[in-house]
Amino acid sequence: MVIKMIKIERRRGRLLIHLLNRWKLEWTVEPRYWRNPLIVVTLWLCLPLLLPLMPRGLFISPLTLLTAFFMANIVAVCALTLTLQVVGTGRFNFGIPFFVVTGGYVAALLDKNYGLGPALTLPAAFAVGALVGLALSPLTIIARGIYFCLITLILPLILHELVFWRVDIFGAETGIPGVSKLVSTGDLMQDCLFGFYMSFAILIVILFIVDKVLRSRLGLMFATILEDEDVAASFGIETKKIKVVIFTLTCGLLAIPGWFIAHYYASFAGTAWLEPWLLILVLLAFAIGGRGAAYSSVLGAYFVVILREILRAFIMEAALMTLYIILFAVFYVLPHGLWGLYRPPRYREYVAYISMRKKT
Amino acid sequence: MLQISNLVKRFGGIVAVNDVSLKINKGEVVGLIGPNGSGKTTLINVVSGFYKPDGGRIIFEGIDITKKEPYERVKLGIARTFQIPRLIGRMTALQNVAYAVIGSRRFKERKMSLSEALSEALYYLDMVGLMRKRDTLCKDLALYELRLLELARALATHPKFIMVDEVMAGLNPAEAENVVKLVRRLREEFDLTIVWVEHVLRVIMRSVERVLVMNEGKLIADGTPREVVKDINVIRAYMGEEVVV
Repeated sequence: MVIKMIKIERRRGRLLIHLLNRWKLEWTVEPRYWRNPLIVVTLWLCLPLLLPLMPRGLFISPLTLLTAFFMANIVAVCALTLTLQVVGTGRFNFGIPFFVVTGGYVAALLDKNYGLGPALTLPAAFAVGALVGLALSPLTIIARGIYFCLITLILPLILHELVFWRVDIFGAETGIPGVSKLVSTGDLMQDCLFGFYMSFAILIVILFIVDKVLRSRLGLMFATILEDEDVAASFGIETKKIKVVIFTLTCGLLAIPGWFIAHYYASFAGTAWLEPWLLILVLLAFAIGGRGAAYSSVLGAYFVVILREILRAFIMEAALMTLYIILFAVFYVLPHGLWGLYRPPRYREYVAYISMRKKT
Repeated sequence: MLQISNLVKRFGGIVAVNDVSLKINKGEVVGLIGPNGSGKTTLINVVSGFYKPDGGRIIFEGIDITKKEPYERVKLGIARTFQIPRLIGRMTALQNVAYAVIGSRRFKERKMSLSEALSEALYYLDMVGLMRKRDTLCKDLALYELRLLELARALATHPKFIMVDEVMAGLNPAEAENVVKLVRRLREEFDLTIVWVEHVLRVIMRSVERVLVMNEGKLIADGTPREVVKDINVIRAYMGEEVVV
């Protein structure tokens, strides 16, 4: 009876559902329409909600996985901002932890000493990150290539020394405790869930901005700077101004994860985040993601961070070594990164990226 | 339109442009010739802002542009092509012209969108006959097409003054003839002033109104093609001292 009332057929890549021979519902099942960003975001949002359904006794707990998602969001924000910075300036910034930690200290110090609260420390962290970026932006004009990488690599080391020198301000390894918490429900899982959604919101906003910028006329100007700065200048693109503005703004954006970490954990110990692991994770996410502009960095961050956590839970001592071997193999086997599996490069489609492999 | 006074450009101990002074009037097509290494391309690089001069002044339409950045010069209406085509190989022909449209003064004035910039880029591609190649990556274009694309990209900046650097190098006679016709047509249609650097003297002598000759960084002759070919300094520069004797 029911079968007679509902008739389902597939026609020209569409699923047609006829109800009582009167109403017709259509759903496109042609694979390319499945790639709707809204579907991806919805699945992504539902992912942590499914974790409590995981069977107990697995080698990894739902809380560990949720923490990994949360950390992946932090790494993805950094990798995404790095993508915009690399495309807009044509330079690789190795000082990412410096800007993250600067944002964290600004938030922690302003909150603890002046009681400003997260709503006010957020713009302050962004502004200080941007100001530091502006002060350092002449580097994008005078230095390039490996020289620029080395100069920016020194920045976290300077901050590391400063933190230990002025223990009275920064608290060295102990950090700055007593920072206002973003939310406290009393339940670790719920707090972690909140942390995930909050970091997810930051990531989505930055992803939207970076994606829009890279697809706009600014994106084409940035790509020209990345490919050949001299040519860009010879055809009217204000290379110096663009590099300074982009470097300044992206440094401001890099301070936001620091702000979030300080308020999420209610304390901030910058020394832990100045260690090389954060920079390595961000660079790996950037490289493994492949040439997918904004999206590949997010994919890379999730892959690297979740794989790290799974390996930690599974093989413990050898986890990091195995992680690096797997990533090495992925980099070797996938010439276009993880994004290339989803969307192989197309002839006419230009994507601004730093070529990491020998041209064939 | 363009006035250069006592321009000097050194690379270490080599003086590539040595005390060059010249004047280009509006609407002129001026040929710039000289043996290899005479400083022609360096002069173009200095005028376009690619190199900073070590001395002298460059005045364009009454504005001192000596210390101006390359992109500021483009906005004033100065464009150039490169001797060795310098296009972005991973971009299509259309994208290579589109970024030049975006960099032009007109793009800002008209507050154009990216799609409008792409439409305008199509117009310039059509103008040089590369419409069918608009979606081809630059790395896959032939030399002749790259030369045309260089011209389209320069035109996209909406120039008043254009410096064409050895646009016929490496082309066969038929292709070179097409390029000559194209440059003439562009001059008429866009009301351009052109400085044309060329090695193929036969072509340049019948295509320009005035010829400037450089040798060892110095300007050694300035006159009509007829005057220049009879100039003893020019013959000496091209043929050597023995031929003159």
